[in-house]
Amino acid sequence: MDSGRPHERSTAFDRMLTPVHRWIWGDAERRVQKLLRFGETETDGGRDILRAAEVTSDPLLRRLYLEHAIDEFRHGVLFRDRAAALLSMVRSRSNQGFQGEWLAPGGHGLDDLQVDGESDHTMLAFLHLSEKAAASRFAVYHNVMQHDPPTRAIFAEILHDEMFHMNYTLTQLTRIAPQRHRRHLWRARFSRLWKTYLRLATALAGILGSILLTIQYFILLPPFAWLAKRAERRELSGWTRVSPESSGSLDKQY
Amino acid sequence: MDHSTSNIEMNILGISAHYHDSAAALVIDGVPVCAVQEERLSRHKGDAAFPLLAIEACLDHAGIEPDALDAVVFYERPMLKFDRILTCALRAFPQSWRTFPNATKNSLGEKVWMRGIISSHLGVPGRKVLFTEHHQSHAAAAFLTAPTRRAAILTTDAVGEWATLSVGDGERLANGATTIRRWREIRFPHSLGMLYSTFTAYLGFKVNEDEYKVMGLAGYGQPTLVEQVRKLIRRTPDGAFALDLDYFEFHTTAERCYSSRFIELFGPPRNPYEPIDLDDAEGQRFADCAASVQRVLEDTLVGIARALHEETGLPDLCLGGGVALNGVANARLLAESGFERVFVPPAPGDAGCALGAALYADRICFGNPDRDIPDHPFWGPSVDGSELARLAREDGQRIEELQDDALIEQTAGDLAAGRIVGWMEGPLEFGPRALGHRSILAAPHTTDMRDRLNREIKYRESFRPFAPVVPLEAAARYFDVPPGGMRLARFMSGVFPVRREWQSRLAAITHVDGTARLQALEQQMAPRLYALLEAYGRRSGMPVLLNTSFNLAGEPIVNRAVEGYSTFLRCGIDVLIAGRTRVVKRASPMAETPASESEKEVA
Repeated sequence: MDSGRPHERSTAFDRMLTPVHRWIWGDAERRVQKLLRFGETETDGGRDILRAAEVTSDPLLRRLYLEHAIDEFRHGVLFRDRAAALLSMVRSRSNQGFQGEWLAPGGHGLDDLQVDGESDHTMLAFLHLSEKAAASRFAVYHNVMQHDPPTRAIFAEILHDEMFHMNYTLTQLTRIAPQRHRRHLWRARFSRLWKTYLRLATALAGILGSILLTIQYFILLPPFAWLAKRAERRELSGWTRVSPESSGSLDKQY
Repeated sequence: MDHSTSNIEMNILGISAHYHDSAAALVIDGVPVCAVQEERLSRHKGDAAFPLLAIEACLDHAGIEPDALDAVVFYERPMLKFDRILTCALRAFPQSWRTFPNATKNSLGEKVWMRGIISSHLGVPGRKVLFTEHHQSHAAAAFLTAPTRRAAILTTDAVGEWATLSVGDGERLANGATTIRRWREIRFPHSLGMLYSTFTAYLGFKVNEDEYKVMGLAGYGQPTLVEQVRKLIRRTPDGAFALDLDYFEFHTTAERCYSSRFIELFGPPRNPYEPIDLDDAEGQRFADCAASVQRVLEDTLVGIARALHEETGLPDLCLGGGVALNGVANARLLAESGFERVFVPPAPGDAGCALGAALYADRICFGNPDRDIPDHPFWGPSVDGSELARLAREDGQRIEELQDDALIEQTAGDLAAGRIVGWMEGPLEFGPRALGHRSILAAPHTTDMRDRLNREIKYRESFRPFAPVVPLEAAARYFDVPPGGMRLARFMSGVFPVRREWQSRLAAITHVDGTARLQALEQQMAPRLYALLEAYGRRSGMPVLLNTSFNLAGEPIVNRAVEGYSTFLRCGIDVLIAGRTRVVKRASPMAETPASESEKEVA
């Protein structure tokens, strides 16, 4: 089974995107923004894994999760510090421009997993796949970063940690569910796929909603805006009396 | 619907949510039984989600089901808030075109349907769901939890529905009835909270979260930019104030709080990812900005409070809203407004509105008679020492389970030996301050200890001060507390000077300007911590400890023993106490230092 072998090789999909990644990471300002976001993602992921350490009843898993969480927090600091160092060298531009966010995603996070409500085997399966996906991407980022050795060194260090994370999650999953660990991994794969679909669908719905509301904004709102501006001009600044009636009933929402 | 009733046995749940720091509070028979912030349970700092976990904790604590609730009170009026959001978008047309879709989706997606959301989450009929106004909730939280019969009330924050500041009074009548009146208010976008938050953003900190950093930074600056700040805010002839909106963008866009004119006036904003170096000119400029906006905030508040005092002639002031977390301003209000006592609840911000809303419904809406409310902040879930013992045992840590007296003496010895102690006991605090039930305690004497805490535990900016805790009776010996100041110091709501002769021996808690955000502890409020202070005083000669919240940077204060334990393992805390269980970190070099050697250093 491929997930059983720790590797630093990227997936074919990630390798296919290498020229895009090279373009994204080539620009110093984009690199700063990406590193800052990676820093946030690693820290958030660390908090989730820390929570997993707090809710598990398995002492060995608690210790491993804790170590894992500390690694993630450290990665967050590495990314942030590197971003800050780069930032001091980069001239700030007001328009950040295209960041290629979805093309070069950050660390893994936990796919909106509700840590408190999940069993250890679900958690381990998710973590294993997340670490694997992150390692694949980080391997590509490491390869395209020849022009920036300090950032490349950070990816190398993190990749090393990801190998440990991939290993222990699979080993522990096999330990606590020796007969069913493959099933848990497949279930986690489907769940990740489903959540990816949900994220895409939500994002698409959000974009469509924004387009419709923006159209309404320019078509329907101008007369109301004119009235609102006129009313604003007549408004006096300073104190406004609070009428006892307005705050009388607790039934109303307005 | 007439809610007045003679039945005083009522279960009322208060909820605050969807802006920042959601919370739930349960009031039974007119007295709070549980109040907790969602972040303490979900472990997401400043969690603004609907507080399902907090509600569950409250109901579990009381052992009741949702159908036993007589009312569920939401802390603000959602439609009125949406009215403000929509009106502001219309007024800012066409600049608001980018903000409008998100603001509308945000509000219409969930926030305006609170009656249905509460009803469906809890399974209570819609008629049981009530709404107070945001500043009504603040006023109730401030007045109804304060031990005063009659007081002026001043509430001020960033914004509620429309109000940003309101004044009024409250009275407990002889017949048991209660009144809370709000006479007048200042409306959005004119907001002291937003003025301060704008500087918070300008100085590279997080809005609604890091305002206290601005206050800490202010101590390092001089108010040399007061005249510039006064261009942003002018007093109106009727004694209120108005912002010059040309300098702000918070009312037109969600992307930035301040405008280009603001930058022309104050210079380029601080990059959030670059540390503030107070030794260079740029760092000093930021400190001066902080000092200047702090000064203007204080002046404005003092002016309004002084007028309120003259108007009411009352000796007591109840202060609510997020701005009431500004301890420096609170101390000036006490000193200069004419009020003899200033009451600030332990949770004056939006979380406290959950409690305020429930109490308001009980006393005002249902007309239930006034009841004395225990004067402490400990309304959350209790810690279980045996849980810590189990966890530590599983990990092979050194644990001891001691009787109280032995534990106190041992802990005092640890502190005197320079060890840092994680201290968990009893119910969790409600509000942002750790007041002795979820605290990190340390010896307060040296700057080395301050630096160690910053470096190994809190991982935070060097300019932020640590707070002291001292027995109430000993506070005046070490701190210059004005008359009435002990009340502010009860919940760490005031900043007062450290007496000059003690500053060098209280270096870890003395801010650069010679002040400290003091907690003066009454024995009854936290007897074990009080006993620890006395025991530490016997050893060191000073019953003063450094008391900082038990959390790491970016995390909420710990709640359960397991969270304290995982925090303990990740940072430089040497000893962890939960209830009667004491754990010493295996790998801690400090833990191995003989107490007698380190105590010499303290002495």
